[in-house]
Amino acid sequence: MSALQLAFSDLLHSLRNWRLWTLLGWLEIRQRYARSKIGPFWLTISMGVLVGALGVVYGSLFGQNIADYLPMVAIGLVAWNLFSSLVNEGSMAYINSSSYIRQVNTPKLIYVLQVAWRNLVIFAHNFVIVLLVLAVFGVKSWLTLPLFIPGLVLFIFNGLWIGMIAGLLSARFRDFPQIIAALLQVAFYVTPILFHGAMLSEKHRWIVTFNPLAYLIDVVRQPLVGIAPPASTWIITGVMALLGWLFALWLTGRYHKRIPYWV
Amino acid sequence: MSTSIRLHQVALDLPIFDVTAQSLKKRVLRLGRKNRLAEDNTGVVIVRALSGIDLALEPGDRLGLIGHNGAGKSTLLRVMAGIYPPTAGVVEVRGRAIPLLDINLGMDDQSTGRQNIRLRGLLLGMKDAEIRAKSEEIAEFTELGDYLDLPLRTYSSGMRLRLAFAIATAVDAEILLLDEVIGVGDASFQEKAARRLEQLHARAEIVVLAIHNPQVIRQSCNKALWLERGTLRSFGAVDTVLADYAQHTGLTVLNE
Repeated sequence: MSALQLAFSDLLHSLRNWRLWTLLGWLEIRQRYARSKIGPFWLTISMGVLVGALGVVYGSLFGQNIADYLPMVAIGLVAWNLFSSLVNEGSMAYINSSSYIRQVNTPKLIYVLQVAWRNLVIFAHNFVIVLLVLAVFGVKSWLTLPLFIPGLVLFIFNGLWIGMIAGLLSARFRDFPQIIAALLQVAFYVTPILFHGAMLSEKHRWIVTFNPLAYLIDVVRQPLVGIAPPASTWIITGVMALLGWLFALWLTGRYHKRIPYWV
Repeated sequence: MSTSIRLHQVALDLPIFDVTAQSLKKRVLRLGRKNRLAEDNTGVVIVRALSGIDLALEPGDRLGLIGHNGAGKSTLLRVMAGIYPPTAGVVEVRGRAIPLLDINLGMDDQSTGRQNIRLRGLLLGMKDAEIRAKSEEIAEFTELGDYLDLPLRTYSSGMRLRLAFAIATAVDAEILLLDEVIGVGDASFQEKAARRLEQLHARAEIVVLAIHNPQVIRQSCNKALWLERGTLRSFGAVDTVLADYAQHTGLTVLNE
């Protein structure tokens, strides 16, 4: 069986085992917030505080109109949080599940899907803030709103393939999680989350133009702030998702047999 | 398609990664050096865990694995369970193989006993309907009663064992792979476990168990396999293999 076929069949089996990875994902959330009264809503609260503080501080620092700036920061931060935890936790997907991997013969990608599920649940909690901000400052355009759905799908798919590769590399090379965490930190500052492309002078516009993550943020953010993402954004994020998935699956198939030995 | 296990010339190399081998830094630093040949040792120690294993099991076979610690018993079980793909040779396993290698697998401390039944059941490849159908039987075997609705962190290790054992043995396995698990627990549990294993024998078509106690092997197996340092020393009828083993180790106690 070729590497891709192996990975596809693993993916298929993993998807069929959805009961297992949704349960594993939930368990992790439950463990983190065991016996806490409001559970994962603590995340919502801390994210809300962060959004409020950054929005107000940077908004006045950059001299921005708060009604425009705060929704932008809120959506950007919530989306970035999903992306960075998909990649960060994806890098630990196999390592943290080593006890399962070495005891039972399950499809391997369930451990990546478990990370995805967990972070989607957390994202849903954080999304309350976005709704709140939109309710307060008003929806700019109802027409562009539905575009958020395909945008989010592309966004998640892109986060997933990066997480999938990160997980595989991290299982083999244990320095990888640290490297990834550091890179994500840098990526946060060069990606237009606290700022947007139009705020940069022409000279520095390349930071946004050549940053693939900028397009990823745009594809989820623009529909919510009343802008229809241009065709180039859709094409770039779509092609990235497609090629990324093919590469990630090929890599997973290629090293599929080694995973139990690595963890 | 009947249940069977066939191993042909199976060998398994286990890479042991020490800290240096799993470090990317070392890898990168090595790139710049010229004498690649001398430096080609990546620091990964390869242990030949199994070599040249040949065996065939038919429905009805109960195989007991004996050998010293580190002889490769658990590794062989993992190969049969499909967890470790072999380095060389052919592994052919037909039928649903359920490994019971570590009793703590998939036991979540914050979840109740009943939730753990579902978690472990799913990990062992059961469907939800199957788990529901079996959960009463499991509950009965564990004798945990109301404790099943308490979180697992309140359980004693004996209670955990009972629960884990009950779940693993509730699966309709065609092949059951057990690793030293029945050696633990108190006397009454051991007796009960042995009885349950017998019932299971009636259902499961092939059972492979790794255990130190030759008495148990004599009681419940019809075949035995003696592993030494990853190679097969002797395989066949229980009495012959146990006699060989006893002779080798000089343990006369084995001869009843």
